[in-house]
Amino acid sequence: MIVLFIPCAFYLNLSATQFAEGIARIPDIAKQFLQISLDDLPKLLTELLTSVIIAFLSVVISVIVALLLSFVIADTTAPNRHVAKVLRVIVVIIRTIPTTIWVLLAVASMGFGSMAGVLGLLFPTTSFLIKSFTAQIDEAGKDSVEAIRALGGTWWHVVCNGAIPTLYSTFLALIAFNFEMTVAETVILGMVGAGGIGVLLQEYISYYEFAPLLMGILVVFITLFLLEMMTNQIRKRLNSQAR
Amino acid sequence: MNRAEMLARQRKAKRLLSLLLFVAATLFSVWFIEFDIMEFLSGIPLFLNFLFVDFMPPNLDDLSKYLQPVLDTLAFGVVATVLSSVIALIIAFLMAHNTSPHPVVRVVLRSIISFIRNVPFLVWAAILVVLFGVGTMPGIFALILLGIGFLSRLYAESIEEIDKHAVEAVEATGATYLQKLKQAIIPQFMPGYISWTLFMFEITIRASAILGIVGAGGIGSQIKLTMDLFQYSSTATVVVIMILMILAVEYVTQRIRERLL
Repeated sequence: MIVLFIPCAFYLNLSATQFAEGIARIPDIAKQFLQISLDDLPKLLTELLTSVIIAFLSVVISVIVALLLSFVIADTTAPNRHVAKVLRVIVVIIRTIPTTIWVLLAVASMGFGSMAGVLGLLFPTTSFLIKSFTAQIDEAGKDSVEAIRALGGTWWHVVCNGAIPTLYSTFLALIAFNFEMTVAETVILGMVGAGGIGVLLQEYISYYEFAPLLMGILVVFITLFLLEMMTNQIRKRLNSQAR
Repeated sequence: MNRAEMLARQRKAKRLLSLLLFVAATLFSVWFIEFDIMEFLSGIPLFLNFLFVDFMPPNLDDLSKYLQPVLDTLAFGVVATVLSSVIALIIAFLMAHNTSPHPVVRVVLRSIISFIRNVPFLVWAAILVVLFGVGTMPGIFALILLGIGFLSRLYAESIEEIDKHAVEAVEATGATYLQKLKQAIIPQFMPGYISWTLFMFEITIRASAILGIVGAGGIGSQIKLTMDLFQYSSTATVVVIMILMILAVEYVTQRIRERLL
């Protein structure tokens, strides 16, 4: 890695003067940042709510889709091996494309707005959930699945009575974690035109309005921080319940 | 018996209540952002149509044009990973419970790192573009910030998981702080360090792919450029190149991890 570092650093040809100029600009911009203004706070909060809602809706939809598909894909419950294989490959491809790109594509096809955000987020969140759900099903659900099969249960019996009750709390923990990630992502997504607080942040940055930008960053920071603590709590409680 | 019945009923009521809350939240959300389900459903085929008709076939004419941004992105990843792993390593030692020189240092560093981590990466990138102008420099610094936020926390966590006995044994011989680090902590921390740093490299590659969107260089700028010009077939090529690049990097880091650990 270190051997690679030196040629790469030279390759990028970072100029020292640009760096110095940028550093010299910091005090000036910091001064503009620190003129705290509360004027835009209501606007920021409504947009923040929009962001959270976009994340919420896309997680709800993807949980439904992922629940259906993950039982088709997981080795222990797959009704058809070939279908499962094809779906697996598709999920891998979807996962490789960064979320931002998905949203960019959705915005290009549906136009600006929250709907494009939900649509764009749907792909990465669903594929994430499918991947983690199938891993859990394969790992934990094996015994109960075999037991129900042995009794002559159908596929629906296996899924509804065998796998879902045993994996209930693990799934909830995964969904909480996924929701946290998705909220963090929706904040960004506004910056590529998908609605929510990111749109405002992008505006502030491009018009050099640093005072409200600082406010916006703080609002985002506090929200994400609280959310992180909340999901940690949920996870802790589910963990103790499982034991 | 009676008690058990009551508990069961309570549980049922709780479950019903959370279900109702959930439905209410969903309805409120749908109302708040004026989410039109019909329009959304009709948007899906439109989107797929857009993906498979406008994007196909990928335009392979100017493949060589994309070599430069791919190399840029890889170089971004290497430089940012190395620099951020060095900085994060120092911060992590100052931040972890068992190696922190002073509790105040720990708390201050922890809050700074948590701030860096919780401000979205694209916001950092956009601010840095304002500072340094369009080009590679803001991209590198945004990736380094991302890396510091991410790695210092993970490094600190793996330092905290270290077996205490070895550290105590070295301490008992009267070793200084630096000797303690070198003899007891670093050897145990090495596997975690290597695997997290490799993971970081994967993340920087993914992230530098999207950096271009705010004008910070890398392959993302090609995606933005081709989409702004409505050359969707070229966009498809760039996206395919990006997927291949990410998969290749994942494969290589996996191999390195297997060999080293």
